[in-house]
Amino acid sequence: MESAIFDRGYYIIDSIMRPNFFHHIHPPTIPAEQSRWRYTLGAGGTAIFLTLVLIITGVLEMFYYVPTPDEAALSVQTLSFLVPFGGLVRNLHFWAAQLLLIVSAVHLVRVVFTGAYAPPRRFNYLLGLTLFILAILLDFTGYILRWDQGIQWALVVGVNLVKTIPLVGEQLYVFLVGGSQPGSVTLIRFYAWHIFGLMLLAAIMTVWHSFRVRRDGGIAVPPPELRADPARISRFELVRREVTAMLLTGAALLLLSVFSPAPIAPAITDVNAITGDARAPWFFLWVQQMLKWGDPFLWGVLVPVLLLLILALIPYVLPRPAQNEVGRWFIRSNRLAQVVLAVMALLVILLTLLALLPAA
Amino acid sequence: MTRRPFLAACLLLLIAIGLAWWLEARTPQPVAITPSLTGETEYCLTCHADLAEISPSHPLETFGCVTCHGGERLALEADLAHSSMRGGANPSDLSVVEQSCGGGDCHAGSPAEQRDHIQRVMTSIQVNYTGAVTSIRYTFGAQPDQTPIYGALAVTDTSLPSQTGILRLDLFDPSTETNPSVRAFGEKCLTCHINAEPADGEQYYRYTGCAACHTPLTPPPLPLAGEGQGVRGIHTLTTAIPYTQCNTCHNRGNYDLRTMLFVERTDQPTRRIDDYYQPIAQFVQCEWTLDCVDCHTRIEAMGDGDIHATKASIQYTQCKTCHGTLTELPLTKTLTDPEDIAFRLAFLNPVVDLEIGDTILVTEKGEPLWNTRFLPDGTYEMVGKATRQLFTFRPVMGSGCTQNGQDQSSAYCHTCHAVER
Repeated sequence: MESAIFDRGYYIIDSIMRPNFFHHIHPPTIPAEQSRWRYTLGAGGTAIFLTLVLIITGVLEMFYYVPTPDEAALSVQTLSFLVPFGGLVRNLHFWAAQLLLIVSAVHLVRVVFTGAYAPPRRFNYLLGLTLFILAILLDFTGYILRWDQGIQWALVVGVNLVKTIPLVGEQLYVFLVGGSQPGSVTLIRFYAWHIFGLMLLAAIMTVWHSFRVRRDGGIAVPPPELRADPARISRFELVRREVTAMLLTGAALLLLSVFSPAPIAPAITDVNAITGDARAPWFFLWVQQMLKWGDPFLWGVLVPVLLLLILALIPYVLPRPAQNEVGRWFIRSNRLAQVVLAVMALLVILLTLLALLPAA
Repeated sequence: MTRRPFLAACLLLLIAIGLAWWLEARTPQPVAITPSLTGETEYCLTCHADLAEISPSHPLETFGCVTCHGGERLALEADLAHSSMRGGANPSDLSVVEQSCGGGDCHAGSPAEQRDHIQRVMTSIQVNYTGAVTSIRYTFGAQPDQTPIYGALAVTDTSLPSQTGILRLDLFDPSTETNPSVRAFGEKCLTCHINAEPADGEQYYRYTGCAACHTPLTPPPLPLAGEGQGVRGIHTLTTAIPYTQCNTCHNRGNYDLRTMLFVERTDQPTRRIDDYYQPIAQFVQCEWTLDCVDCHTRIEAMGDGDIHATKASIQYTQCKTCHGTLTELPLTKTLTDPEDIAFRLAFLNPVVDLEIGDTILVTEKGEPLWNTRFLPDGTYEMVGKATRQLFTFRPVMGSGCTQNGQDQSSAYCHTCHAVER
């Protein structure tokens, strides 16, 4: 009954129901088209929910995590095995981080494939892309904080890649690692970046990105005169949909956490003597695969940076999505952008799968 | 949007929360122990509470588990907890023994305090097997003389000066040998030095390293459920080593030098006299009623720090060690120092109640035969280290024996004292 009223464009419900804080931070009504699952996939909202989960579980983890080389892995073991629900909290943090990358990627694909980055949303597209990069960096720094044998390879290889950058590589390496090779200073730097530097940036960018969504007219749909469906929904309906997505994501997170615990490995004895798995975290497997082809700067730094640059330039150099098509999947007007992203995504997926194959 | 998807999502989340809660409730309560030696809490007992303490000289509250075994002391997930264990289930394997048994100078300490067990074992014939390697290489022309060059383990003598003059052994690598017989020896016959995996068969079953001798597996342990999962060992370390443990290597058969195959003994002994040795020789009563460790000393079994190449150069216990000769009584020593090594050894295997003032037999190298005692009536008693059986015996001096005291070869004494079997 309620939804039928609003589908007809009535929005008198604010005078019947008192909006609470969460209702209040939403617009009173939005076009129904903006909140259709099949259009948005709920990716942006889910990413925000995952970020909240990450902040809450991360703060809880900070009560037990000890950022020193001798204690880090042991404190992770203490949290995982000895603190009541500590393992669950860690698993939730891990899975929220992994899902955030996936959901962010899905969000990016949705934005490109529906032409949602069309002006005036080009700048917000760049903010989103920056957030995606920050999420990857947060994931990587968090991964390093385990400081166990499972992360040694990625740490040593990852920071060595920085060294290969011409002119500034050496300085950047020392800045990141805190010395001529990974050691105790490295851990505290990664810790500081993870919980403060990157986190602060990500928090600011998330708020800015969300603000710009609202400022740019909400989720991209055609202007009112070109809209196929004039229906609107109230903030109550919108919040209910968002909460439903959160509940489902929360359930998925819990099930993943219960059935597939976060990786953990024995404590490191010598950080520079790699004894564990020589494998990058899954989101960098595609880079690891390319590193097998030769020059580390070319394949490990230049190519990934070029791919990011291409992504950033999509709204500025490729044919723009048509106003009347925005908000629908696989539109004609920006087909080239879709092809570029699809090729890049397939390439990354293919390289990841290749890296997962057992060595010949 | 109706409320149905919202309610379904609520239900799903509640189910997920319930599941997480239920699994948390099922997690076993961690069992902590903080060994006094490390002061670091470990949780191995959460799963291994039923494991008996390994020996009275390694009390759990002092050593815990991680001191010897390594492993992740805080992990309650089996794979992770066991992932960094030293030597798998056997931390005494020689590849890790320095870190486990040798940690904290327990068994890798100073020779003066007689805590250099690992250094001595590494150079002993039980480990290097160099006598056999050298003989075979010499026999088949791979080396011009019987100078020991290779051993089953590369080792350097660090306890100079060396009485044997052998300062190092290189690793014997059969794959580099050109003579097929030497290569075959290397491939088929290196199962007896104590760090080698034993041959297949219940009669050979033992661990490697220190546990090869100090963890007697008699009767052989039960196989674990399922194929290929190894054998469940027993958690024991002892100096009360029965002859059956020595027999997992010794007295099992002979090598056929033509085929380079080990020919197992085929008899099925039911009496100890037959079981003790393979049926090729004569023996006096004490050679088969006692256990090997009742006569053969720590130095003979574990070495003296020099690299030895032959049994003859390290085995020195003879009949006269306990019985003396017609002109000399066996060597004895009256215990006056509470720090005497004899008390430490008797503490490890308390088959006798040694006291200050007791007179015990000693070897010509001064090693105490701490399980013996000189009695006021001029006789001696010995308590079996593994059996706790009491034996009394007399010296040769004053008996009707007509021996030539200079000849201590077993064949010479067997002439009169061999037991028929």
